[in-house]
Amino acid sequence: MDPECSQLLPALCAVLADPRQPMADDTCLEKLLDWFKTITEAGSSLLLLQENPCLVELLCHVLKPQDLSSRVLSFSLRLTGVFAAQEDCFQYLQQGELLPRLFGEAGPLGGAAWTAPTVRSGWIQGLRSLAQHPSALHFLADCGAVDTIFSLQGDSSLFVASAAGQLLVHILSLSMRGPAEGPPGLQADDWPACAQKIVGHIEESLRSTAAPQITQALNVLTTTFGHCHDPWTQVLWVQLHPLVAALLEKDPVPAAHSLVDLLLSVARSPGLSSSSCGLWETLAQTLSHLSPTQAGLLALGILKLQDCPQALRAQAFAVLLQPLACVLKATAQGPGPSGLLDSTSADSVTADILLPSKAACVGLLCRTLAHLELLLPLPQRPCPWPQAPLLGAAVTLLQLCGGSGSPASDEGRQLCTLLLGCVRVQRAALDFLGTLSQETGPPELVTQVFAVLLEYLRSPDSSPTVLKKAFQATFRWLLSSPRTPGCSDLDSHALLFLRELLPVLQKRLCSPCWEVRDSGLEFLTQMTRRWGGQAGFRHALLASEVPRLTEQLLRDPESYVRASAVTAMGQLSSQGLCVPPASPEHPGGQQKSLLGELLHILSTDSEGFPRRAVMQVFTQWLRDSHADVVGDTEQFVAGVLQVAGQDLDWEVRAQGLELALVFLEQTLGPPRSHCPYAVTPPVAAPASPLTQALQPLCRVRLFEFAFRALFDCDRPVAQKSCDLLLLLRAKMASSSSLQEPRSSPDVASVEAALQRWRAGDQAQPLGDLEPEVVLAVLRSMDLEGLRGALAESSDHVEKSPQSLLQDMLATVGILGENEADCY
Amino acid sequence: MLDCGMHMGFNDDRRFPDFSYITRSGRLTDFLDCVIISHFHLDHCGALPYFSEMVGYDGPIYMTHPTQAICPILLEDYRKIAVDKKGEANFFTSQMIKDCMKKVVAVHLHQTVQVDDELEIKAYYAGHVLGAAMFQIKVGSESVVYTGDYNMTPDRHLGAAWIDRCRPNLLITESTYATTIRDSKRCRERDFLKKVHEAVERGGKVLIPVFALGRAQELCILLETFWERMNLKAPIYFSTGLTEKANHYYKLFITWTNQKIRKTFVQRNMFEFKHIKAFDRAFADNPGPMVVFATPGMLHAGQSLQIFRKWAGNEKNMVIMPGYCVQGTVGHKILSGQRKLEMEGRQVLEVKMQVEYMSFSAHADAKGIMQLVGQVEPEGVLLVHGEAKKMEFLKQKIEQELRVSCYMPANGETVTLPTSPSIPVGISLGLLKREMAQGLLPDAKKPRLLHGTLIMKDSNFRLVSSEQALKELGLAEHQLRFTCRVHLHDPRKEQETALRVYSHLKRWAPRSFWLGLGRSGARGGSHCASRQRPQGPLRAAPSRWVRDCGVHPHPGCCPLRGPRHQGAAGVLDLPG
Repeated sequence: MDPECSQLLPALCAVLADPRQPMADDTCLEKLLDWFKTITEAGSSLLLLQENPCLVELLCHVLKPQDLSSRVLSFSLRLTGVFAAQEDCFQYLQQGELLPRLFGEAGPLGGAAWTAPTVRSGWIQGLRSLAQHPSALHFLADCGAVDTIFSLQGDSSLFVASAAGQLLVHILSLSMRGPAEGPPGLQADDWPACAQKIVGHIEESLRSTAAPQITQALNVLTTTFGHCHDPWTQVLWVQLHPLVAALLEKDPVPAAHSLVDLLLSVARSPGLSSSSCGLWETLAQTLSHLSPTQAGLLALGILKLQDCPQALRAQAFAVLLQPLACVLKATAQGPGPSGLLDSTSADSVTADILLPSKAACVGLLCRTLAHLELLLPLPQRPCPWPQAPLLGAAVTLLQLCGGSGSPASDEGRQLCTLLLGCVRVQRAALDFLGTLSQETGPPELVTQVFAVLLEYLRSPDSSPTVLKKAFQATFRWLLSSPRTPGCSDLDSHALLFLRELLPVLQKRLCSPCWEVRDSGLEFLTQMTRRWGGQAGFRHALLASEVPRLTEQLLRDPESYVRASAVTAMGQLSSQGLCVPPASPEHPGGQQKSLLGELLHILSTDSEGFPRRAVMQVFTQWLRDSHADVVGDTEQFVAGVLQVAGQDLDWEVRAQGLELALVFLEQTLGPPRSHCPYAVTPPVAAPASPLTQALQPLCRVRLFEFAFRALFDCDRPVAQKSCDLLLLLRAKMASSSSLQEPRSSPDVASVEAALQRWRAGDQAQPLGDLEPEVVLAVLRSMDLEGLRGALAESSDHVEKSPQSLLQDMLATVGILGENEADCY
Repeated sequence: MLDCGMHMGFNDDRRFPDFSYITRSGRLTDFLDCVIISHFHLDHCGALPYFSEMVGYDGPIYMTHPTQAICPILLEDYRKIAVDKKGEANFFTSQMIKDCMKKVVAVHLHQTVQVDDELEIKAYYAGHVLGAAMFQIKVGSESVVYTGDYNMTPDRHLGAAWIDRCRPNLLITESTYATTIRDSKRCRERDFLKKVHEAVERGGKVLIPVFALGRAQELCILLETFWERMNLKAPIYFSTGLTEKANHYYKLFITWTNQKIRKTFVQRNMFEFKHIKAFDRAFADNPGPMVVFATPGMLHAGQSLQIFRKWAGNEKNMVIMPGYCVQGTVGHKILSGQRKLEMEGRQVLEVKMQVEYMSFSAHADAKGIMQLVGQVEPEGVLLVHGEAKKMEFLKQKIEQELRVSCYMPANGETVTLPTSPSIPVGISLGLLKREMAQGLLPDAKKPRLLHGTLIMKDSNFRLVSSEQALKELGLAEHQLRFTCRVHLHDPRKEQETALRVYSHLKRWAPRSFWLGLGRSGARGGSHCASRQRPQGPLRAAPSRWVRDCGVHPHPGCCPLRGPRHQGAAGVLDLPG
């Protein structure tokens, strides 16, 4: 501990122990505890207590009957636990009887303070930190803590109840780790008393008729098997397995969700899943006992397992597919199997769940679609994958929701009534449909997919979220549409679809909802990036009004849309798909270049998003040697840097440095090493070419921009500039000019100006800089030191422990109106 | 889920709620029907992009139109500060904020929005900040009102909160000022203007650190009006570049402001400032007095901190903190009276400038909270957003003065409320006709007992005649016979004894019994009833509130039948 902090600590402890001094900020005690944890992790707690007796005094003081704040009491319990985690410190605190007085019956446990959840939480967390060694186990047994923890599992506070369960798992695992002479035997009878007590409690809870108790026991077991894979866990599972299996005989199955979590946790545990303790049978039994709404998650979990009997996987997949099979069956145009499940006898239960209530139907379908969506990209997904029927099911669902489905059967019509206009199912089905694009499907089904997507994109009833998902799914299906191997071009069918799609996109770009216009622009950018070079796409796009509309959206009232329009126009322009924009002042009159339009946005737009988007486009253009830039690159870079340097948004200034970096690399050649700070062998290079090479950088005033950024009040800008200048210096390292010390009046004046800039006065410009002066200034600057300083958070001083202690002390006595105020 | 805020005092995981408490392994969207955001302050919406784009909630988010417009500005402002400070991992991006905002469904005041078939919500004006709303959430006959933050007194640009007397089962109210009766805001405003004026008069510079939106606009109006009235010439600047957009929204949502602003709107829009100009970084070094609004509001990074460092050493200057500052910020330090601040590189900044704190937060005080409870007339009140000790005081006051049960759970604590949900039951025409046939005309003032079989199907309840129930459900009638053997010791002949018993029964037995006897004929004096479980697993999901309120949600139906008395509770009325 710093001497400064050590000096402040007694006063702080006195403040904490004083019930008349409330803490202003509830985060202070948390941060104080964080600090003590850091100290004790790095050194001896015993030494800390001996060197700072005020800490023990504080812990003793909180035990005195007084009106102490529950927060301070809770803090003290947690702090004691942090100290007692080290066994020698534990013994030290035990000698003073401090631990039983804090954690035993005589402590807060028996007092009025116990009614505060924060105190109960502090008690549990204190014990959780403390329980790290065998002595702690004896202590827990002696003070009867385990019984209290049992009761706290049912606490009214979610946090306390959850922490109690976690603590039980920790104690069980600690007691089974055993003393130094070796872990306990594998016979449950040989287990330590503490472990037996906990297991006994779990058994009792599992036999209970009360669902909360069963849930608590199942959660404790789930965490145990999830975190601990020692051999004793197998013994535990063998012992408890019959009790868990017995839960399945109850109707309804109690705590089904927790039961599923437990079984999956056991199945994932390497030791347990391989042992022959009836796990697979129990899983199969559970799958058949649970209702389809509860069984889906279990089925997904089973299918995600690496090693699992084939029959169980088949059963799980059938459970997962059942609701969609039901949909297909209900909407089938003719008799016969839907192709999703061979046996349709088992789906009567699903039909019962699906049809009578809208809430149940929507919930089950959304869950099923989400589960299948998660399963599809996994390598262990079932094989063969029923792609065609699943595509059919997704399309059918979308048709039912959109009102275009016309099922013949009564069940189908009923389903149609339930799903019509249901946004939840639409969203889930579109996501699923998009994921299904990873696989191909029969051509007639793919045609249906495109048809239903177009229907959604066209529909005036589609909500903005649904439209966004429809755009995303469409892009994914276009990406996957069949094409010539090795060629990324769109095939003729996709191009036909595109011709139908573009008028829809056109309409959507004129939507009154900004969300829709924005999603449309994002979709256009994606498509252009992918197929902008392809003749068919170019032809279709140029024949449409989409580019012109996109250009108009550069002046959209919504800044998000303007930013997306900037990105889209940048992309269109890169691909030569841009129509020359009309001047805002004279629409239809004299046309001005896109570059001019974007520069106008950069210098005048009141919001950061479009300006940032412009900088990204410019950087990309420079990188790609875009036609508008190549003409006079230096003028372009100089103009952009000048505007960006004055921007109030630090992200625009940071983007300016990105552009400067690209220009620098293009002028001086790419960096030899990926890391600018890596030691690279010097390569001899003549001095004069370097100064010559720096000329363009000087002409565009890149150094003035970078030096100004180096002292920017926003740290990421300064950091980026520092990186850029270090890169430049690395490039100079090989040059002989670096070794030549040079001092001149120019250098001195620049260095003086930089000093003023550093002090915050950036009014005076540097003027025209000569390459030699730049080199000399770079040589003299401690850029590495600056980089180290900038690597720290800008508020690291205010966040330091010393600052925390000072703040806590400074707050004493001045609490007034401030504390109640909040934003 | 009501609101989705963040804690400004932490820089790690603790700044966002731990959503794993909602579900450990399931999808959040399956557990939540919707998220409702009351207003744009970060302690109410700061975790939203994290929740929807990083944790994975994909359902609808409801908020008012102004909140939808302003929320992303605040989130973006905070993101920029967080990234600016560095060391901020696990933080959302600009794209995430945009994607999150695309999930928002904006609502109008007093518009009933149907979230799904069961759940409906309605927004009411809350004052506090532009667009702040209270929400009534209704499922069936039960409802909850959530206030968010609200203000019961109008201020310079906003009106007072107002809500219908909707008598919800529960009112969840903020309790920031649970024990305070606040003085008039006019006094604080006068004080503020006086201090700024004095500083400017003596040639000093005044720094007002603010967050981009909210209080900044209120103070801008205050200064603008004062400058106009006093004909002051010292420049006022707003540093963020956000003023334009912020003021645009204040203009756009003029209907959300108070009556005075709306009335004067035609002649002059209050938010078109004459005296307040955009700030340029170079202006900070200009000589002479000026007033600067700069972000962020806690002096913990960026522009406001830079200006503070420049001006702190001059005793003529002044910094006015119009809001609360968390520990770990320069704002917190100067508010707690520290005057020598350690800066980077072991440098010490001596703060000679005048430091002032002025609370302009617009929360209801104790009187206002009581007023709202009285206005809404809830069955119960739940206090949130306050300190335990103060809540305890208010809780007692509400319980004693308003006779309403009040709860104040700690974070994470569960409260269970007893409610009596009224579940609508449809009655079949046949059953009504049968009752009418008994000759009694319906009388609204005299409730009458109606007997029938209660059927729950497709989450609906219907009361039908037992015959119809059996028919609809395809069940066979089961009959229970109650018989008893009576030994009569009568020396007379058998027939004679029978006649005596007959005439006795005719005279004394109840008519119904008699009718029953007559109808059951040879079956003797028996009452019959049938009780049969439905054949096959006919299941229906119980309604949400039935599930939550502890009514036994047996997913079947249970027709009961007796010759005369039939009851849903399965009580057979056996006369005699």
